Amino acid sequence: MTMGLIYHEAYLRHEHTPTHPERRERLQYTMDQLREEGVLDDPAVRRLEPVEVTDEQIARVHTDDYVERLRSMSATGSGRLSADTHVSEHTWATAKLAAGGVLRGLEAVEDGTVKNAFVMSRPGGHHAFADDGHGFCYLNNTAVAIRHLQATTDVERVLIWDWDAHHGDGTQSIFYEDPSVLVMSTHQDGRTLFPGTGAVDEVGEGAGAGYNVNVPLPPKTTDEAYMQVVEEIFEPIAEQYDPDLVFVEAGQDNHFTDPITDLGVTAQGYVALMKAAVDVAERMAEGDVVASLAGGYGIEGGLPYTNLAVIATLLDYETSNIREPAIYEPPTENPDVSSVLESVRAAQEPYWNLL
Amino acid sequence: MGDGSHKVGARYRTCVIVGIDTGGTNVDGVLLDETGICGTAKVPNTETRASIEEVLEALRSACDRFDVDRVVVATTLVVNAAVQDRLPPCTNVVIPGPGLGPERSFYGAENHVAAGAVDHRGRVTEPLEYDAVPSYDVRAVTAKFSDRNPELERELAAAFDADPQAVALGNESGAGLTFPERAATTVANARSKPVFSAYERAVEQAISSAGLDAPVYYLKGDGAMLGSEAMSTTPAHTIRSGSAASALGLVALTGLAAGIAVDIGGTTTDVSRIEGGFPATEPDVSEGDLETAYEGVTATSLPIGGDTRIEPTDEGYALADERMGDAAALGGDVPTLTDALHVLGIFQPGSVEDARAALQSLGGDPEPIAETALAEFERRVGVGIETLQTDGSSPIAVGGTLAPILGPRLAEAVDSVTRAEIPGYADVAGAVGCGVARVSVETAVHIDTQRGIKTVTAVGSERVDSVERGRQFTDTEVREIVAGAAQEAAMAAGGEEHKPVQIQATDGFSVVERGSVVGQIINARARVAPGIERWYEEGSP
Repeated sequence: MTMGLIYHEAYLRHEHTPTHPERRERLQYTMDQLREEGVLDDPAVRRLEPVEVTDEQIARVHTDDYVERLRSMSATGSGRLSADTHVSEHTWATAKLAAGGVLRGLEAVEDGTVKNAFVMSRPGGHHAFADDGHGFCYLNNTAVAIRHLQATTDVERVLIWDWDAHHGDGTQSIFYEDPSVLVMSTHQDGRTLFPGTGAVDEVGEGAGAGYNVNVPLPPKTTDEAYMQVVEEIFEPIAEQYDPDLVFVEAGQDNHFTDPITDLGVTAQGYVALMKAAVDVAERMAEGDVVASLAGGYGIEGGLPYTNLAVIATLLDYETSNIREPAIYEPPTENPDVSSVLESVRAAQEPYWNLL
Repeated sequence: MGDGSHKVGARYRTCVIVGIDTGGTNVDGVLLDETGICGTAKVPNTETRASIEEVLEALRSACDRFDVDRVVVATTLVVNAAVQDRLPPCTNVVIPGPGLGPERSFYGAENHVAAGAVDHRGRVTEPLEYDAVPSYDVRAVTAKFSDRNPELERELAAAFDADPQAVALGNESGAGLTFPERAATTVANARSKPVFSAYERAVEQAISSAGLDAPVYYLKGDGAMLGSEAMSTTPAHTIRSGSAASALGLVALTGLAAGIAVDIGGTTTDVSRIEGGFPATEPDVSEGDLETAYEGVTATSLPIGGDTRIEPTDEGYALADERMGDAAALGGDVPTLTDALHVLGIFQPGSVEDARAALQSLGGDPEPIAETALAEFERRVGVGIETLQTDGSSPIAVGGTLAPILGPRLAEAVDSVTRAEIPGYADVAGAVGCGVARVSVETAVHIDTQRGIKTVTAVGSERVDSVERGRQFTDTEVREIVAGAAQEAAMAAGGEEHKPVQIQATDGFSVVERGSVVGQIINARARVAPGIERWYEEGSP
């Protein structure tokens, strides 16, 4: 059992502003935790070096105009794609290296170098469209990597589970008409959080109809309700889709300490989510699963524990002691999600059997 | 490290050092200063205090001046006890807090888990709770992130009811360790403490009965040294120190930049790799069931030496990998490798007749038996050399009493050996190694300016100081701080001022709360560069 861990010091170079929530220390506290736990010394953890993605790999997803815009903005050392998505000197190179990290993880799992992989890169990618970016994202790391894998290996069907608290609007749009990539997103309801999309009735178009599944969850949704989503929506669709590979867009901002979202998942909840993903991969995809860090801004109380939860699950470690320190108050509300699940079932009814 | 630090400025007074290497067969001593080696001594290792007293007396009578500034000792005592399974069992108490389970840190004969947590910023996030009763009198206490805050470990140890025989705390074990490594190393230190402190007392007594009033240092396995207090806190640091002493001494005596050091003792032969003019080191040295995350020289200690017994086997004769006493030629009772050398006429300070008789008693002609034994020795040391060589071939530097006899033969017998250097004082190379060592301590600094604290982890009790809250340090300032901390840690462990410092890592970032920068977190590591303080390539005047 080897897990590939993709991380590079260069992932710390990209900066929005010094006080921006998407900061370099998102990765540093986690690396601190992994180091102190001895995870980095475990022979079962194989460090993999990412390589920047090439123009050709990027061109499978992004338009030339957009690529040129990003490149020149970064070359001048400043600019922004939206009010909160800044471009700095290192953005272009770091974004290419982040996409290259996801690509490295996918390739290493696919060619058997490692059993599964965790990609701890930044900036993220799921809010990047073919021709634009926002939400702290520039290149769609996941799309660039999956397109490369599909072009160069016999991997055909990929199941993306984007569990970031924010709806992955960029990823949805890129694969909206494509049945070879099933995008399932569980996120905080767009009426209460950026980017506002991700409604139940966005189900894909053309050949891609039925290959986009959105589960918008109410604020404060807890572990228990998430597991209900797993059992009633994620697992049955995954089984019927029968993917060659499971990809988790691992947003750690469902954690209850996250400062910019409003969900109620705990570190143990993350263990359960990742176990479900690993389980599906074991049953449907010969265990091929890659998780890639997306959002997650609870730098001290969330990320070190949620990332550890995901990594420890991939490594099949004992996970019962993974939790937040007692100074953080876990959530008590437990909003009912049955009506949401009912509407998801109704929207997906033409495509999947979700009794 | 060939950093020029052996050139001593005129403003320093000559420093007179006694180096003592306590091996399995003999205790070797040298007295040296910057100008050369003044005297040497070699006495049988009988009982620690008596043998060291004898060495000191021999050095006193050999040298005009005996105003000793420092005594540096290398001992294999802890290692021997570990190998022979003589170290006491330990109750290992861990304070894992949230995260991975505590089982990964279970290195004790008994392991207890206490409640309580320190987070990665050194804050106590959960209070200590421990009500188990340790079964053993030797105890180790290690908390996750105790390199950021030693409080919980201290609190737990302070509450032990009786006065335990030995207690080791994770925060005192050293810098740059992970939680499981720290737990293992702390258990190793706790278990080594009783043996080492008895030894340390005997050394102190020998030194004071010799009328010396000089501080005592001990060689670490990585070729640097620690003051006796620091070594008493972390005695597992003595693992590999025997090999470190001989490697260091052979480098100082030959100036060997790259190759293999071979020190042929009575009981063992130490083979070490030399790189960049210093013994090469590797992480995580262990011995017997002692596991540590300390660095040690890259070396093999072969269980064969001049006094190794020769025994008959089904196929003929072989080295028995044990020492029963002196060679028959030198008044002992059993046939040894040294007797074989007598029989072959290549070494004869003793009685050739007694040597022949001893080999004959094995039931054959002495000459073929002697040749078989010598060939086996050369072959096995050759394998040891080849295993450590990095480029396929290299020179060797050879130490030990038998070096002038066996060194050239090894160069002849082992294809990958380009030449053998046998320096003057080869017979006391390990003691010379002690005399040329420098104090060096891994030091880690963690600064959190939002909390206003600075934590310095080295060997011995961790220090928590305050720093100005909200302050932002520049990279240059960080480098100065960590270099200063490494220098201070070395001084606290008995080192001297103005030694070169290696900065190994610096890393810093801002702490942001509610949209404002409220502080900075810095992690940095450094150490005084391990080095050789004196060189004697041309021998002593």
